[in-house]
Amino acid sequence: MSSLIYSSSPHVRCSLTTKKIMLAVAIALLPACIAGCIFFGWSALLVLALSTVTAVASEFVYLLIAKKPIDYILKQFDYTSVVTGLLIGMNLTANCPWYVPVLASIFAIVCVKMIFGGTGKNLVNPAIAGRIFAFISFGATFGGSWLAPNVDAINASTIVTGATPLSGSILAGDLSAISVVDLLLGTGVSGVIGETCKLALIAGGIFLVVIGVINFRWPLVYVATTGLVAVALNGFDFNVFLPSILSGGLMLGAIFMATDYVTSPNTKLGNYIYFVACGVLTAVLRHATQIEMVSFVILIMNLFVPLIDKYIVRRPFGYTRPQKQQKEGK
Amino acid sequence: MKIRDIMMDGLFRQNPTLKLVLGVCSTLALTTSAFDSFGMGIAVTFVLVCSNVIVSLLRNVIPDKVRIPAFVLVIATFVTIVQLFLRKYVNALYASFGVFLPLIVVNCIILGRAEGFASKNKVGFAALDGLFMGLGYTWAMVLIGGIREILGYGTFFGIKLWDFTIDFFASQAGAFFTYGIVIALFVLVWNAIERSQKLKKASANDAPVVEEQKEEN
Repeated sequence: MSSLIYSSSPHVRCSLTTKKIMLAVAIALLPACIAGCIFFGWSALLVLALSTVTAVASEFVYLLIAKKPIDYILKQFDYTSVVTGLLIGMNLTANCPWYVPVLASIFAIVCVKMIFGGTGKNLVNPAIAGRIFAFISFGATFGGSWLAPNVDAINASTIVTGATPLSGSILAGDLSAISVVDLLLGTGVSGVIGETCKLALIAGGIFLVVIGVINFRWPLVYVATTGLVAVALNGFDFNVFLPSILSGGLMLGAIFMATDYVTSPNTKLGNYIYFVACGVLTAVLRHATQIEMVSFVILIMNLFVPLIDKYIVRRPFGYTRPQKQQKEGK
Repeated sequence: MKIRDIMMDGLFRQNPTLKLVLGVCSTLALTTSAFDSFGMGIAVTFVLVCSNVIVSLLRNVIPDKVRIPAFVLVIATFVTIVQLFLRKYVNALYASFGVFLPLIVVNCIILGRAEGFASKNKVGFAALDGLFMGLGYTWAMVLIGGIREILGYGTFFGIKLWDFTIDFFASQAGAFFTYGIVIALFVLVWNAIERSQKLKKASANDAPVVEEQKEEN
């Protein structure tokens, strides 16, 4: 009898720990990072490295200031800060000054994650908050000029800055400016480091789905809703569908940011509401403001997650809804 | 001893901005620059001192049932004086305050001190309370405004420091953010000071050290 262990739930355990999940996400981000480095050159690699190193370092420094013992700090390290740092770097342009990734990472880790209690306790996705911090703070260096990718890396004069396809032509209704294949591969597309090569992002997403980290349903729901609402807003012109889902940061947001465990609802119905609302808001706000809104939409919906989780709860096993009693004497 | 208490209450222990979290509306809106914050602090201090004095003088005259309208009337009088004065002599401040100048009338700090202190105490104490509450509000405003101006605009009291700016701190979101961080740091420092004083007092009296529960964390 003494070999029996008494414990409260959960009773079923599996080998998928937070550490392994986050390592898998970091690996899934690598194809897009490599694609970004190929397109934008060494400066992209520098931005990615700066943001990642700063994110990890600021987590360690915060825990040291909070007087946690060293072995605890090393034990609790679970790659979430690596993922956050990578995502922030992927959300910045390759030509931004060195302090932008550094400050965005510090803001994301210290002010959004650690102050609220660390991994799993943050209210909003740290990477999204870091991106928006950079976007608001350094808007002049961020939104004004997007670095066009360096397709033939030899000739430096091909690096030009200009509007992204989304903000430049697609939202203005000009679909002929860029082909769908270019959008998918990211060749000749300007934008932030990690968002241009959709193929690499989708490959990373498929990897995550195959090893069971994310459910294939949710990115699909988000992307499809955005595309369909965009079609509806443009007078049911189905030529808009592919360009609108393949441009901007939608893929990056839908696959890697909106699906964050901490800041998405717990139930199936809740997730449907969350991702459909994300998609609708993205398409509508893109249409209304003519700028990329994915990160703002995910931030807004992150704030609604506690509300969704409060009102949509899983039906307990064996629970039947009480029959409504007919009022008598009517 | 009571004067010392009033001073410590106003400046730190019951600091209206950082401890009582009153008058948040003007704090968030006007801390975009240190000079605006300072001007607002002085205007509020003036209104606080004058209204506290009048309310304290009238405390036995005003019927209990209509005391709040009576206080508001007294406060509104002095706010109008400040408004007319600024419009005539410091038009720049008048322009940047905008709607928040007449809104001093409903600033909870002033009504709170009239209700909570001036209507129960003698004139001298009421005036001192108004002065130190106002100064407490002013230093907190200047602190928040200074941080936001330095980080958001790269200037301090209008003097250019450097070109580097983080626009986030100049935006409204930055106001909430800076306010929260400043409150957290103030409470942290203040609790540490209070604890060390308590320990010192306890060891001086040779009494057993009893650590009280922290109010806030």
